[in-house]
Amino acid sequence: MVDTRHEYDRLAGLYLPIAAGVVLLVLVLVVGFAVRYRAGEEGAGRAPSRLASAPRAEALYVLALTAVAAFLLWRTFTVEARVDGAARARASVLVDVTAAKWHWTFAYPGAGIVVRGSDARRPTLVVPAGRAIGFRLASVDVIHAFWIPSRRFKRDATPGLPTRFTLVFPRTGTWPNGGECSEYCGLHHWQMRFDVRVVAPAAFAAWLRSGGTTVAGAAA
Amino acid sequence: MSVAAGARPLPRPRRGVLGTLAATDHKALGAGLFVTAFAFFLAAGVLALLMRSELAQPGMQIVSTQGYDELFTLHGSTMFYLFATPIAMAAGVYLVPLQIGAARLAAPRLALASWWMVIAGGLIMWMGFLTEQGAADVGWYAYVPLSDMPNSPSVGTDYWIVGVILAALAAIALSACILATIVKLRAPGMTMLRLPVFAWTMIVSCLMVVTAFPALVVAMALLLWQRQLGHVYTLPSGPIDYQHLFWFFGHPVVYVVFFPFVGAVAEAIATFSGRRWFGYRPFVLSLLAFAALSMSVWGHHMFTTDSVENRYFSLTSTALLVPAGVEYFDALATMCRGRIRLDQPALLFALGFLVLFAIGGTTGIFVGSPPLDYHVTDSYFIVAHFHYTLFGGSVMGLFSAIYLWWPKVTGTLLRRSLGVWHFWLTVVGMNLTFFPMFFLGWNGMPRRVADYPPSSGWQPLNVVASAGAWLIALSLLVFLANVAVSLRRRVPAGPNPWGAQTLEWATSSPPPRENFPDPLPPVRSYAPLLDLREEAA
Repeated sequence: MVDTRHEYDRLAGLYLPIAAGVVLLVLVLVVGFAVRYRAGEEGAGRAPSRLASAPRAEALYVLALTAVAAFLLWRTFTVEARVDGAARARASVLVDVTAAKWHWTFAYPGAGIVVRGSDARRPTLVVPAGRAIGFRLASVDVIHAFWIPSRRFKRDATPGLPTRFTLVFPRTGTWPNGGECSEYCGLHHWQMRFDVRVVAPAAFAAWLRSGGTTVAGAAA
Repeated sequence: MSVAAGARPLPRPRRGVLGTLAATDHKALGAGLFVTAFAFFLAAGVLALLMRSELAQPGMQIVSTQGYDELFTLHGSTMFYLFATPIAMAAGVYLVPLQIGAARLAAPRLALASWWMVIAGGLIMWMGFLTEQGAADVGWYAYVPLSDMPNSPSVGTDYWIVGVILAALAAIALSACILATIVKLRAPGMTMLRLPVFAWTMIVSCLMVVTAFPALVVAMALLLWQRQLGHVYTLPSGPIDYQHLFWFFGHPVVYVVFFPFVGAVAEAIATFSGRRWFGYRPFVLSLLAFAALSMSVWGHHMFTTDSVENRYFSLTSTALLVPAGVEYFDALATMCRGRIRLDQPALLFALGFLVLFAIGGTTGIFVGSPPLDYHVTDSYFIVAHFHYTLFGGSVMGLFSAIYLWWPKVTGTLLRRSLGVWHFWLTVVGMNLTFFPMFFLGWNGMPRRVADYPPSSGWQPLNVVASAGAWLIALSLLVFLANVAVSLRRRVPAGPNPWGAQTLEWATSSPPPRENFPDPLPPVRSYAPLLDLREEAA
């Protein structure tokens, strides 16, 4: 099973230091050159260099840049294969997610449970910890996006184009406002949220058997 | 040599408002379009201030949710369609004929009509605020089906579409004028590989406009059809089809409004380092490669749709770091072993551009990686990223251009000390505004939200961002004060106050109607005035 958050953190942990290093290098060189080669009063100082090109140095530099791009792409493709591969993997629990202006509905096929949100009330997504959860995502009106920031994952909900993906929630707990719509969908876009409750597999099974009537997680 | 531009004498300019609105002199036209676009910049900035003030605390205090949706739609649309694109074109209309030693712009009446279209498009778009249901509220990319009639029935949205179409057609026409000028009207000796670097950046920008903007015109015309008559985006693939059409335009446009200011920054760095721009040929090649690649990256806006080949668009997007790196190499190599006049605002803004755009560029590579984009796309992280490219890049570059060419256009000098104040206020203000947004997005704040729950913990960083926005407003007031003071108490600039290197500095400030009444200096490179000085030394 692939933990999307773990994958994200590892890849970001590679990209961000490189980005920070590049920005720092540019800052140091810009400030350094500006101070080192600053003109004196009345433009005094050494005459500026007349050198206008260094084709060999620049060619080597382009090769180095290409190598950096290739390295980043190799890491990205490796992680992308895991994350998107996992998103297509078989799941042990299935949740049908329906986005509509401006609330979410979670249905658990087979168990006959439908957790329906409304404009006034956030629904709660209940999932078992440590299992591969398969989501089938659809929209009934405009484009929404299903985002769980703590899972570092989102997917657009496009009307007419249902998609599916698999996520894993390693730890039990309750996250109020743990999920949200991240694609602008009209007036109440910012209120289109849901709570996330991750419970122990046994508690989840009990919750399913009860038809969703027990307070999920109470046993967890 | 100026006579070679045409046997017919050029018409003399007429005075008054009507004369200005009928100007066919590229300088009057360029200046008029520039002022128009800058006015839209200030107007869109006011909308941003309203948004930042609203977001400073949870709960709705200043505008309604509906009002907020109109604010961000008109902010983004005005910045792209009515400010950034037209002002980039305005710089080209004014400067390109001068830089290539021409007496005029090709097809000036087409350019004049384009200016009118920008004004008309802007007025129509903003007229939405006067209607009962308000202005467009669909976001600047107006995704289908949200932008379809049942979901967004306001007539302001139809106005908005018409405005976008007018502005897009204007950009295409202006690009055609600038390209034709460069192809047909270059002075004797001005070969393509002796064009100044700014002229080259205008070429690549205009090439992107003429190839990418037609897709926008089509997307918008079809959207209007869909809203009024239906049957266009109604297939199941309709929403994705629209996104392909839109982003085929929508990614290149960010380079269209970026490259002319890369050119301005390059001219400023070369001028104030007292050296010619380093690595001219690799630079030109990198621009062309950048423009070509930019036409193949649009799908990275759609990584989370599950409907595009993510790896392909990740490959093309990440590859952009190569030509971008070449441009940085050349800028830094030009500074190295130069004689740098650090006290000039034009140079300060150019250096600020290099550092701030580096933040926008590297975070751009970050979001070019699909697994990373899955988390941060459509969040405030993206808002931070593209404001570092568009404000840290384009707007910093724009001010570098303004301080560099102001003496040429007006014949007067701006106050240097006010310019330095303007620079530091801008740098501090923009970092305060946009840097916190990286953290907000990472921590889960989606973009385009009118409000956020008090329990989210996002308020402190939002307060910092809002304070920064007001600092940016203050920096703009300092700039406007500088303009007012400098125009009232005029300090004559002379033809070439900076010791600059390209042909526009070989004529008087401002240039006369025919640009170059005296014979042009010989053109043997992309820095003809520097050639003369080096020969004399």
